[in-house]
Amino acid sequence: MDIGNILIIGVLLGCFYASVGLGFSLIWGIMNIVNLAQGALLILGAYVAYFAYSLLGLDPFLAILVSMVTMFFVGWLIQYIAINRVIRAPFLVTFMLTFGLDLLITNLMQQFWTADIRSITTSYSNAHIDLGFGAIPLVRAAVALIAVLLTAALSVFLTRTRIGNAILAVGMDREAARLMGISVARIYALTFGLGAALAGAAGAMLAMTLAFQPSNTGTYTLFAFVVVALGGLGTPWAALAGGMLFGLVEALVGARPETVGLQSAAAFAILVLVLIVRPSGLLGKAFYS
Amino acid sequence: MDSTEPTGTKAVRPTKARAPAPVARGKHSWLWSLAVGMLILGVIGAIPFQNDIAGLILWTNVVMFCCLAQSWNLIGGFVGYAAFGNVVFFGIGAYTVAVALQHDVPYAIGLLLGVVISAAFAFLLGLPVLRLKGHYFAIATLGVAVAIGEVVEAEGIGGPGGEASLPAPTFGGLDTNTVFFFAFVTLSALLLLGTTWLTRTRFGYALVAIRENEQAAEALGIATFWYKVAAFTISAIPTALAGGLYAYWQQFFNPSGEGGAFDPSRSIAMVLMTFLGGAGTILGPLIGGIIVEYLDNYTLINFSTIHGPLLGAIVVLVTIFLPQGLIRLVQELTRAPVALEGPEAAKVSYIHRIGEGVRRVFRFIASQGV
Repeated sequence: MDIGNILIIGVLLGCFYASVGLGFSLIWGIMNIVNLAQGALLILGAYVAYFAYSLLGLDPFLAILVSMVTMFFVGWLIQYIAINRVIRAPFLVTFMLTFGLDLLITNLMQQFWTADIRSITTSYSNAHIDLGFGAIPLVRAAVALIAVLLTAALSVFLTRTRIGNAILAVGMDREAARLMGISVARIYALTFGLGAALAGAAGAMLAMTLAFQPSNTGTYTLFAFVVVALGGLGTPWAALAGGMLFGLVEALVGARPETVGLQSAAAFAILVLVLIVRPSGLLGKAFYS
Repeated sequence: MDSTEPTGTKAVRPTKARAPAPVARGKHSWLWSLAVGMLILGVIGAIPFQNDIAGLILWTNVVMFCCLAQSWNLIGGFVGYAAFGNVVFFGIGAYTVAVALQHDVPYAIGLLLGVVISAAFAFLLGLPVLRLKGHYFAIATLGVAVAIGEVVEAEGIGGPGGEASLPAPTFGGLDTNTVFFFAFVTLSALLLLGTTWLTRTRFGYALVAIRENEQAAEALGIATFWYKVAAFTISAIPTALAGGLYAYWQQFFNPSGEGGAFDPSRSIAMVLMTFLGGAGTILGPLIGGIIVEYLDNYTLINFSTIHGPLLGAIVVLVTIFLPQGLIRLVQELTRAPVALEGPEAAKVSYIHRIGEGVRRVFRFIASQGV
């Protein structure tokens, strides 16, 4: 594969990875929770989109919306029922709790929907534009565009709306926000709901561009972590930067025959390097946490 | 102190009731922990005499996980650094033994090599990653474990695709399963002794000081960084030993995937077991390991269809309702009311103590949420 194609694949993959990390970054940044169930929520979102497409006959791009709305309520419930109960505990507790949720969701999905590999294939799945130096697959390009739009939308929502500002305020200082009359429990539920909705969007886009199965949950949690740790916390654009870097590394390493199979090793090597040289990530600020 | 005044503390002078709460524990609680731990291991040690091969293999697995949890307790429980990649030392131990045996190196030397390489790796890895904190440290260690597993798989160490196969073990006619069972029990007993020793020495106090407040510990003159590196390296040694034992016991194993030598869920299991029993306690990892691994096997055999979701639900319930671990729960439930010591404490009835304890535990659980 020539370099033009590798760069195109890398950038498109990078945008998709950014969407994987977006919700994870929001939840981590605001609530200081490393949500190990993010991958499970993402795959659950992929299933919602898949069934919206195959059972209801919706267009996959509309299914993204269905998935986001469904996952918002799932996330809201999870935070309200479970995570809010241990939010003040040491971080290891939320770590274990979200890991338990991951086990629960993953295994239930396996139980109900089997371990079959699924994907959404439409009449336009293989369409692409040839640019001379490389071809752009259209669905992937649309997914990348949606990922960038989601990043922008989240950024605008957090900085320009009252509720968004309330979320940021709770992230900065929980007690001060409470004194200002913000209901912390509700804002937390809303934040987790938004994070889950973003995971749902990423899951729907995963179903459209690649394939998925219940056992993928751990992989996507790791991807989300790498993206966020590379980019840093504090702004949705950091997740985009981290996603880009991760996508390009994967595309470059995966394209060479002698390094195929070492994609995650390379990603983690870069991650550890970035963490050591710049612990707050590429664009991160010491804002939340 | 909570605003609700505990009942039945009339004997206490008001000034004393407001004193800082010392944890009223027996003077010889470490001795109790050690004795109970040894008793548990002794009872488990009788299992080979039942001549039940399936039970023996099950319990070898259980004790192996106890060893892993006990090793993790050194860095995760005492220093409070959530290492999520300690499985890497297990894998290095296992693969060193595999490669050594494939080159006709004696098993004992292979085990020793595995320990040395793991300890050296832990030391070198600790130098950069122990400067990270919290989530970043957790994920950096996890990442290293996944990456090393992938390298082993891609480079075909131990066999094509990393699928190692070892010659069958022989120990002069002894039953190999029994030999490995007792090897793991011995390792667990040594870890129990080592942990007990740790809770009574300067080194152990320094580690706990780092967990409670790293900056304060540094200010007190503790070279926190080197203590952390030392604890990380020490925790790698028994993990590598367990890996080496596991390798020869199993004879065939994969680098990654379900049940692989570098499978990250092994790391998660270590954390869960220590957490359930009580992180930073002598007995916690042992009890947590037995409960989790035995329940895991039991549900896998008897309720195989709902095994996964059940395990997930248990983890969720434990973290929400048992955040302090079983050992500390028992301590909370039975300890004498704060500010009462000596003969006065003995007057308080056990029913009353437990009632107070239950209230304390509920208050604690409620204080974790928003």
